[in-house]
Amino acid sequence: MNKQSVVQLTAIDKSYPLGRVVVRALSGVSLDIAHGDFIALAGPSGSGKTTLLNLIGCIDKPDRGHVLIDGVDVTSVPLHRLAATRRDVLGFVFQTFNLIPVLTAWENVEYPLLLRGVGRRERRERVTRWLELVGLADQAKQRPDQLSGGQRQRVAIARAMAGDPKLVIADEPTANLDSETGARILDLLGDINATTGCTFVFSTHDAALIERAERVIRIRDGRIASHETATVAA
Amino acid sequence: MLTKIALRNIFRNRRRSAITLAVIVFGAVGLILFGGYKAITFRGLRESTIRRIGHLQVFGAGASKAESQKPLEYGLENAAAIRREIERDPRVRTTAAQITLMGLISNGDKSETYIATAVEPEKERAANAHRLVSGSELPNNESDAVLIGKGLATAMKAKPGDYLTLLTTTVTGSLNAMDVRVAGIMTTGVREYDDRAIKMPIAGAQQLLQTNKIEKLLVFLHKTEDTAAVDATIHQKYAKTLETKSWPQLASFYHQVVMLYNGIFGFLGLIVFGTVVFSVANTIVMSVFERTREIGTLLSVGTTRGKVWRMFFAEGFLIGVIGGLLGIIAGVVLAKLINNGNVMLPPPPGYTRGYPLQILLETPVLVTSFVISVITATLSAIVPAWKASRMKIVDALGHI
Repeated sequence: MNKQSVVQLTAIDKSYPLGRVVVRALSGVSLDIAHGDFIALAGPSGSGKTTLLNLIGCIDKPDRGHVLIDGVDVTSVPLHRLAATRRDVLGFVFQTFNLIPVLTAWENVEYPLLLRGVGRRERRERVTRWLELVGLADQAKQRPDQLSGGQRQRVAIARAMAGDPKLVIADEPTANLDSETGARILDLLGDINATTGCTFVFSTHDAALIERAERVIRIRDGRIASHETATVAA
Repeated sequence: MLTKIALRNIFRNRRRSAITLAVIVFGAVGLILFGGYKAITFRGLRESTIRRIGHLQVFGAGASKAESQKPLEYGLENAAAIRREIERDPRVRTTAAQITLMGLISNGDKSETYIATAVEPEKERAANAHRLVSGSELPNNESDAVLIGKGLATAMKAKPGDYLTLLTTTVTGSLNAMDVRVAGIMTTGVREYDDRAIKMPIAGAQQLLQTNKIEKLLVFLHKTEDTAAVDATIHQKYAKTLETKSWPQLASFYHQVVMLYNGIFGFLGLIVFGTVVFSVANTIVMSVFERTREIGTLLSVGTTRGKVWRMFFAEGFLIGVIGGLLGIIAGVVLAKLINNGNVMLPPPPGYTRGYPLQILLETPVLVTSFVISVITATLSAIVPAWKASRMKIVDALGHI
């Protein structure tokens, strides 16, 4: 494994039963993601982008192949024993924001820090910093249903980043936003990547967003069709 | 934070939580009202039983083992000395001599069987074990005065001031008769007993039975809790000459009522338990279903299965605590309204008098209803909480 790799996938196969049919979601996928990468997974719906992100995010298991996260082979570890990896190494940003509805913006950002056992003072500092960074310091006491879609996604980004993860996985992070808000969210992710060096892997099929990625991995029918740089992709 | 999430989720779907809480409150109120009614019934029945039979009864040695062939065969001869000794114990309030006898009563035209209880008139009045329907109580110094039960008086067509004749077997086995004056007509509340009952002075009974003995000595204590201790003291002093029986050994009716009420209470508790279990389980299941994606999110950001389980478990527990507390408030308010409402219950089977419905608000009853509410609601959450914690993250996140 490359010293710089945060994720290494080797010969991954993954199938799903869909009724009586077995759908092959990924076939022979191998992939290396280095620290600090800002990667877009591109491809049409059903191409296998989300399945790939699920495997990287340790919330699903491959049928064959190996998944190494931060140098640790997690393939044979049961998913429920990977809670600490998800908590300490990974951050998630979802298409539908997935904030906890009964918690305020502040509490949503604070939640993963509580899971990590971060002390009160440090929690306050980190939550304040990240809410300021995503431009929502004055919305800290609002609950998700009192925020716009863009604001919710900013809270979700602050939640993903507050724990200082090595890798943030974002599945279609702009799909539920208008193009202008989506562009601003991508700008925000890009800025965070540039300033913190945190690795980002996001899936999208929006060409305008794909061109913002440093590296684009195109997936088609469960296979990696191409690795491209941002300029080639655009 | 998980407790905070659990608590806030209770108030998230207010209508559903309100229905669930209403079920728990209804159950807790039911337990408080029936538990309080049971407690006051037991206490009332216990004390009225003790007023009638004493905390302890003292007999001559052998009374319980041998079948007496003649009246008062195992009676007490030197009762006065024994009484003085027993009454010296500061735990003893008083003692009362008693004789029971049976025979025939006649008005000259008609005869009926009777069961007479010979008592000390002064102490009998204090015991308040019967209610006078007409006439007066037994006088202190009139050995041939009697009180007769309401039913017996009707059968004998007797009224206060009338004379009747009592016939019975004496201690030697011969027959003896005695004319008695009806001082008053009484009711004990038990119809069958009123149809046969007579109360007469000890002196009159001794005259009729031709003896100086008494059958037994009733011992009344200041506190019912001292019964076993005083029993042991008497037994220690008079192991060879006397026998004792305590009220729990004698009060079979009381024990039957206790068993019956406990059975009903247990059955009611089961119904409440089942209702609350289904209601709370339904609420948590609905909550888990609605929050499937949220559970997926919690698990994906690193929440362990155990913590997800604890969150839903806490939700059940908190519903139980809130429901239990509201139940106590509602139960106490309702019990006070009932107690002040002078609600009369009809006479129980075999009784002639109704009685006011009263609810005894004792701490154990309130605590029990609260604990049952909390335990039931918490137990109801176990299975749905377990299912929530076992969800596949990918499926949960994809749930719409």
